[in-house]
Amino acid sequence: MGFFRRHPALPLGLLFASALLLAPAVAERGTLNDLWNMAFFVVLASAWNLLGGFAGQVSLGYSAFVGIGAYTTVLLANAGWSPALTLPLGAALAVAFSVLVGLPTFRLRGPYFTIATIGVGEAVRVIASGLEFTGGSSGVRMPAGAFDFNGNYYAMVGLALVTLALVAWLQQHAFGLSLEAIRQDIDAAEALGVNSTRAKLQAHALSAALVAVAGGLFATNFQYISPGSVFDFRLSLTIVLMPIVGGMGTVTGPVLGALLFSYLQIKLLASPTLRDSYLFIYGGLLIVVMLFEPKGIVGLWERLVGRRPRRPAPVTEVRRAS
Amino acid sequence: MQKLVVVALNSLLAAGLYATMSYGLAVIYGVMRIINLAHAGLMMLAAYATYALNERFGLDPFVSLLVVAPAFFVLGMALYATLIRWLPRSSTGPSMQSLLLLFGVWLVLQNLAYAIWGGDTQSILTSYTMESVQVLGGRFGVPQILVFGVSLLSLVGLTLVLRRTYLGKAIRAVTQNRDAAMLSGVNAGQIAAVAFGIGTAFAAMAGSMLSTLYAFTPDFGRSFLLKAFCIIVLGGMESFTGVAVGALVLAFIENFASAYTSIPVSFQDAISFTLLVVVLVAAPGGLPGLWKTFDRRAVAR
Repeated sequence: MGFFRRHPALPLGLLFASALLLAPAVAERGTLNDLWNMAFFVVLASAWNLLGGFAGQVSLGYSAFVGIGAYTTVLLANAGWSPALTLPLGAALAVAFSVLVGLPTFRLRGPYFTIATIGVGEAVRVIASGLEFTGGSSGVRMPAGAFDFNGNYYAMVGLALVTLALVAWLQQHAFGLSLEAIRQDIDAAEALGVNSTRAKLQAHALSAALVAVAGGLFATNFQYISPGSVFDFRLSLTIVLMPIVGGMGTVTGPVLGALLFSYLQIKLLASPTLRDSYLFIYGGLLIVVMLFEPKGIVGLWERLVGRRPRRPAPVTEVRRAS
Repeated sequence: MQKLVVVALNSLLAAGLYATMSYGLAVIYGVMRIINLAHAGLMMLAAYATYALNERFGLDPFVSLLVVAPAFFVLGMALYATLIRWLPRSSTGPSMQSLLLLFGVWLVLQNLAYAIWGGDTQSILTSYTMESVQVLGGRFGVPQILVFGVSLLSLVGLTLVLRRTYLGKAIRAVTQNRDAAMLSGVNAGQIAAVAFGIGTAFAAMAGSMLSTLYAFTPDFGRSFLLKAFCIIVLGGMESFTGVAVGALVLAFIENFASAYTSIPVSFQDAISFTLLVVVLVAAPGGLPGLWKTFDRRAVAR
């Protein structure tokens, strides 16, 4: 029983996972689409949380990785490649790009890093809209052919489960702890022998790879992508908001955020008045969370239940100065 | 040679607007150590306010500045009183919390504009929008020249306020050292509120003027925010003279790159983003930082 006490979420998670994997046998296509969407958001939020939550490096440029994964899959599928090859290749390209971007920008701290990532994301979108082989701003379409939704569903749900397991495992081990140390005090972490640049690069690369695979699956599911859909700033925004609202630097937080956001999105798409005010909701949530509970839903829960967090607050930086 | 002069003059005209756009960001950063991401949303909202005044009352965009700037000054103070002042202060540098809070404000402003004016692209047409004058063999648009004139006026005004008035001296004092300023009896909270108002008013002036040059949507302003940020980083974050120099440098690089290299127009925005990342990484102290490094080396020799 000690094992379950150390991992209290495990039985629930296993139950949830088997329900998700059995769903295609019983559920309708509409429900499966919603579940697919949730899994997609869980991957994005949890992967982002590795760098943004654990290590405290808030990046607003993650749509670049979704885009790289999506474009690799679509462009190579048009050249006759199979998804089994394009997904890993997209992940590899995203890793390469994450290192390319990370090497200079990780020398920046806190908000300066964040602003630089807005710049990187914008530059990528501008360039993807201007290039010939990406189809410019009108985007590209998957080759016509049979599309297996169930296969895509299993892949996405599987990816979400792998991401969660990986994140939960990393949090308990040296790598997760070194990221945590970087978030709390980067100089102290360096002094204790953490190679902060390498740890940040690794977290960035890992999350980039996961996000890129999700992007590839996104492209196969929707059959059509454009810079406006996968390189969009709003996508980067959603990726950041989910873990923030849920609770940065925790394993459950991004999942809660992702579930909330996919629910919101399903509701929003159904009602035109809500669809026109989604930025009110996003912005309002961000303001409320930052003013009242920077630890998000998880922090709120801990406050309500009165349980002191096992670790110091997973906030990027709330230092009350003199 | 003639082309060189024309490109240089164009850069100068652009630099005026860039400086106005960046001063608001610099004042707020200086006094509060906050990066105002809502700056872009405020510029966008001011552009729409100018548009509305023009549609409803036929007010000239440059005349409407007299209404828009004070109104946004009040809006900025209100934003400070309702949101910003409740944030925990950070002495080490800008906190993530303030950045994300203001990001939320930006999103709300975007949605506000979308709810009122819809998502269509809007633009303001005046009798002189298409006019231009010939100087030194180059043609310069009348709106560009007017924008430059107004920018110059507003910058001179701000400099006078900062140098000659108690308020200005207090703002500069808090920028240099908040604790020392408070010890000398400056009410730092009040100064922060006023500084946020001034920053917002400058964002509004920049937005109004941008609306005479560009078409806009509720999504407008992001690339200008990045340019403004690039400029204040170039200027060394805290120096108001640095901002002017940074604006000149960015404007010259952009204009010369598009005139003398074959970088396509669609990639032009990428220049400032790339420059931003390069400067942040290679010279975090901006141009003043670089200057000091060289100075020190010269002295050491």
